[in-house]
Amino acid sequence: MSELSRTGYHTDKMWVTMGPQHPFSHGLWTLRVKVDGEYILDAEPEVGYLHRGWEKECENRTYAKIIPMADRLCYSASMTWSHLYCKVAEEALDVEVPERAQYLRVVADEICRIQSHLMWLAALGTDLGNLTIFLWCLREREFFLDLNVRLCGQRLTTNYPRIGGVRNDMPYYFERDCMRVVDRFENSLWDIINLTDESSVFVSRLKGISYLTKKQVANLGITGPAMRGCGVDYDVRRDDPYAAYDKLDFEVPVLKDGDAYARYRVRVEEMFQSCEIIRQAFNALQKIPKTAPYRLKVSKKIPAGTHMAHIEDPRGDALMYLVSDGSGSPYRLKVRSPVFVNVSASKAMLDGCRVADIPAVMAMIDMCLGETDR
Amino acid sequence: MAMKYLDKYPKKFRGTGGIRPILRVLRTMIKTTLHRPVTILYPYEKEWIPDNYRGRPGLRFDRCIGCGICMRACPTTCITMVDAEDDDGKIVKRPQVNVGRCMMCGYCAEYCPVDAMTTTPDYELAEFTRKDMIYDPRRLAFEGTTEMMEVHLEEHLQSNLDKGIEDKPTAFFDTDRPVLDDDLCIGCSKCAKVCPTSAIEMVVVGQNAKGRDIKRPKLDSTKCVCCENCVIDCPKDALKIEEVL
Repeated sequence: MSELSRTGYHTDKMWVTMGPQHPFSHGLWTLRVKVDGEYILDAEPEVGYLHRGWEKECENRTYAKIIPMADRLCYSASMTWSHLYCKVAEEALDVEVPERAQYLRVVADEICRIQSHLMWLAALGTDLGNLTIFLWCLREREFFLDLNVRLCGQRLTTNYPRIGGVRNDMPYYFERDCMRVVDRFENSLWDIINLTDESSVFVSRLKGISYLTKKQVANLGITGPAMRGCGVDYDVRRDDPYAAYDKLDFEVPVLKDGDAYARYRVRVEEMFQSCEIIRQAFNALQKIPKTAPYRLKVSKKIPAGTHMAHIEDPRGDALMYLVSDGSGSPYRLKVRSPVFVNVSASKAMLDGCRVADIPAVMAMIDMCLGETDR
Repeated sequence: MAMKYLDKYPKKFRGTGGIRPILRVLRTMIKTTLHRPVTILYPYEKEWIPDNYRGRPGLRFDRCIGCGICMRACPTTCITMVDAEDDDGKIVKRPQVNVGRCMMCGYCAEYCPVDAMTTTPDYELAEFTRKDMIYDPRRLAFEGTTEMMEVHLEEHLQSNLDKGIEDKPTAFFDTDRPVLDDDLCIGCSKCAKVCPTSAIEMVVVGQNAKGRDIKRPKLDSTKCVCCENCVIDCPKDALKIEEVL
């Protein structure tokens, strides 16, 4: 219940439709909010404008052809989605990925996580009216996209993981470039923090709005940084380790505050931790000989059965469920998109907020419509 | 490991004077004045891109054997095999790419057994009509193709790794070969006709009741590139690919 209805100053309740073309929506979706004056009583997200029939299209493609399609699920988390698809196929084939490929996947995933979080921070900056944050974040993001080009030839649609390994070994100069970018990025992220945390305007827009309790998070199925900002200590990388994450030492930021500011802080800390993971992964890669295998030959057909895999996407717990019938293409491939679940919690997140808080609150789930609508 | 950002922020004591913010702004101002601009004037200046950049596919016409592996590996089916004239005036099959459909995944270059298909750093592909987007085999050629533009398939056999043997990486076109089911074969010699490397030869193995020759395909596995043309064209499904894992 909003504060206003408690005080007795009622205005007529009305539904306001925000979207599908609205600056805050970061894509095509509609948020219908029921407002009482300035306060929000109810919210209803409407997604589906970008539905491409992704899951159905997979059913008439061979297993290898789905990897570049999985890249296109999300424009900024392409590496983790294709990694997830390869992981579920490997689990179905019962293949152990070579160690070198595991570390290369970790490096690629963390580069993806940093650039995805930078895209989120840039969008948050424009939502709150600070264009400098947007420009500085995208400037830093460009360096990570350049790393993607060096590693696999494309900036966004990476197509790097393969079933049984990775596409190619890293080029000889990649480690040097990566270390330079990471060192530079850590310094310049402090500059960006000077714009955000040092600015009382920015902090006051986020602090104290959109409180969620642990119980609400569990009932609504929220995952990812939005969940960790509410005090739930869970990260797939640490609690159900995949690739080489169990051999790496990193912290999972968890905050008990539960407001939008806590979700922001969790994401910023995650970027620093990702830098640390990249450094450790390169230290481990140096110990593996350069001639070590990085890709295994796998069968074109997957034996019949059902298989499931999940990994930590920049936005939350991404899951794929594969039903194979023994042929060369999947019988069914189900995608559990973290954003699709998170956005369905918008009523709980927006309850009691003002209209002006909507961009700040909805930016915290880092909307990406490609994976939401599929 | 410790938290880097969460240990410092939010700051409990926010300071009393205005000198620190002013110093910070001055530092940033000096930094941005001294630095070069981070943007470029795009059509006039272009960013340096590495040779392994995945732009449109390129073709080395004389290397291609017309096996059609690229056509079958393409996720968007933008590649079709068309008749083209080679340098001697002979009609051969070569890939034609509809670049308007291409998703630049690089699979054609990756699976090419003779490294004829490559990726190229060519990314400015806008045309006035959709027909112009279709690149015929001669137009696909890219001047200055380097070794970096080739994508090599370097896979290790799982059975070898389990035994502890670390040999040279292979690929499916080195190991996988079609095998014949003798009962189904009718000796039509269609497989020998479609084979791009002429690895299949029809040999007489005996005579039937009417006194006619019984022919069976014989595979030269050194020539075979596992293109599956014979498997697809076999009218009785007598050929199957045997995968080595």
